[in-house]
Amino acid sequence: MTASLRLSGGLKDVVGGRDRFDVEPGRSVREILIGLGIVPDTIALVVVNNEQQSKDYIIQEGDAIRILAVIGGG
Amino acid sequence: MNGYGGQILRVDLSSGKVSKELTPAELARDLIGGRGFGIYFLLKEVPKGADPLGPENKMFISTGPMSGMLMPGGGKCDWTTKAPLTGGYASASLGGHFSAEMKYAGLDMIILEGVSPKPVTLFIDNDKVELRDASDIWGKGTIAVEKMFKEKLGEEYQIAVIGPGGENLVSFASINHDYGRQAGRGGVGAVMGSKKVKAIVIHGTKSVPVADPKAYREAGFALYKACKDAAGLKDWTTYGTVITEIWCNEVGALPTRNFSEGTFEGSQGLSGPTMREKIVVTDKGCFGCPSPCGKYSRSKKYNSYVEGPEYETVGLMGSNLGIGDIEAVAQANLLCDDLGIDTITAGNAIGWAMECYQKGILTKKDTDGLDLTFGNVEATFAMIGKIARREGLGALLSEGVKRASKKLGQGSEKFAIHVKGMEQSAYATHNATAMLLAYMTCDVGAHHNRAWAITYDIQVGREKVVPEKVARVIWLQNFRPMFDVLGGCRLQWVELGIDRNLYVPAFEAITGIHRSWEDMEKVGERIWNLTRMYWARENEGFGREWDMPPQRFYQEPPQTGSNKGQITSLEDVNQLLDMYYEQRHWDANGLPKAETLKELGIQELVV
Repeated sequence: MTASLRLSGGLKDVVGGRDRFDVEPGRSVREILIGLGIVPDTIALVVVNNEQQSKDYIIQEGDAIRILAVIGGG
Repeated sequence: MNGYGGQILRVDLSSGKVSKELTPAELARDLIGGRGFGIYFLLKEVPKGADPLGPENKMFISTGPMSGMLMPGGGKCDWTTKAPLTGGYASASLGGHFSAEMKYAGLDMIILEGVSPKPVTLFIDNDKVELRDASDIWGKGTIAVEKMFKEKLGEEYQIAVIGPGGENLVSFASINHDYGRQAGRGGVGAVMGSKKVKAIVIHGTKSVPVADPKAYREAGFALYKACKDAAGLKDWTTYGTVITEIWCNEVGALPTRNFSEGTFEGSQGLSGPTMREKIVVTDKGCFGCPSPCGKYSRSKKYNSYVEGPEYETVGLMGSNLGIGDIEAVAQANLLCDDLGIDTITAGNAIGWAMECYQKGILTKKDTDGLDLTFGNVEATFAMIGKIARREGLGALLSEGVKRASKKLGQGSEKFAIHVKGMEQSAYATHNATAMLLAYMTCDVGAHHNRAWAITYDIQVGREKVVPEKVARVIWLQNFRPMFDVLGGCRLQWVELGIDRNLYVPAFEAITGIHRSWEDMEKVGERIWNLTRMYWARENEGFGREWDMPPQRFYQEPPQTGSNKGQITSLEDVNQLLDMYYEQRHWDANGLPKAETLKELGIQELVV
């Protein structure tokens, strides 16, 4: 079983148009972001199973992760 | 004309005469609406050198083809005038429900001209237009006045109202609507006050013609579905614009103690989750909005209710003043809204005064005994009132930091945080060169809404000064303000990231005219050049010097946070401007070349 990750807002444009990924547990959200080519400092919010987490959260099996960027701004 | 109300209402306040004229079809074709209409009429009808607070200045309130239509974000209108704060171009965007009622009353624009001999309310109910005596409500706060009208006339009437700030001609007075929405920046409220217009009350029930009703329904539905399916909808709606506060602090962009730092030790107390937990009662959206960023909040500590605070207010009334209590920020927000002054400039002005106090340039003798130490909540509340009443030190601050620092001198100009006289909104730009350029070249002064490029800085490398960054800023400046032309909100595209091409069939179904985004960006470029020419027309010697950023951002690196010690050099600032002017096809002094105006087809509009 893996975990699922969903990118919000304009982030999908940064990674070539996809916004849903299956990710392997055991790595941090930060590592996954870097692997996708996303600079972690552009991320405003990491939500795992509807709870806010840090970018250093270690992904567990079955996690549903949402990544919210501040690409557009106010 | 499909997608338009079809008429312009002209109100001559000096004579009391009201008249209507048809919206010119060629104007709708070339500049579409909203701020496109605004700059066209500002150039054409307000004479060169007009006093922003005199009878020659006018207020142009414009909707666009999105306004009042069933598509996400169709609740915006533009308020264009000559700015009391800057002496240049002002264009303030107002959300809520005012624009929809304008459209349903058949109006694409309301022009206020002249000066009324006594306080009045402009009352509009479809074709009924009256100027009503407002002597009994002159002096009252915006919230009480709106409540009074709603109770008297009904919830369906929409109200835009100034407070004592506008009446007293505070140069950054705002216009309040829907209790907590503002046409905020540049001093548009002071222009209303100078014309003795306390409020505009509007209601309409007319239908809006659309070119293809079936395609309109389908395209509108597709836009709403895209918003509903967006991954960020839940989080965006939960926290609204304050979602960015923690992030800004992490990346050193949170304005702190008059922008001397970009990281605030009390950030957690101002965060989106803290706000949601402590004070938010419910979400509140504008007309037709599927992703309401507005938050209706209650402070137990101050026993008060307010819409907000938005991120900008959190940044300027919170961290920028050394205040880390969300309830105090909400209360400051309420005071500003009710008195009718812009929270962004007010937070800057008080921050500047606090730094003057810290440095001994201002003392208790100047502050009527107030201890203006950073973090003093009660002194902040008191200063908001003094500004709105132009009382004591408040009279100086009511002029904005550019003029205030010039008057006070003693080196205070060095930490007056503004561009072209407009105070910077809530992103510290010590080391974010694209965002710095966005502020330097914004067409109303240091405001973020035209181009927001700080994430791009982080993606590309914050300190880099490269043509790609400049191109990004220019693209954003041409594209993002198109929502202010169309009479809509950009946040569904900005924050939810919905495909912007979904708007294209909706516009076509409404107006019958196919326009790609490339076509619309060309309109955006025309408007950008027109507003630049307006600045040049109104300000002798206008040019490169006016685009320089606050000294703090190239001379004083932050001493804390993730970008500690980092700063943009003056050389880089100049290089940014060189590249910007070149890419805009402007001359080395930052003025559009004759051939550029000709190529854009606007040379006759700027004579």
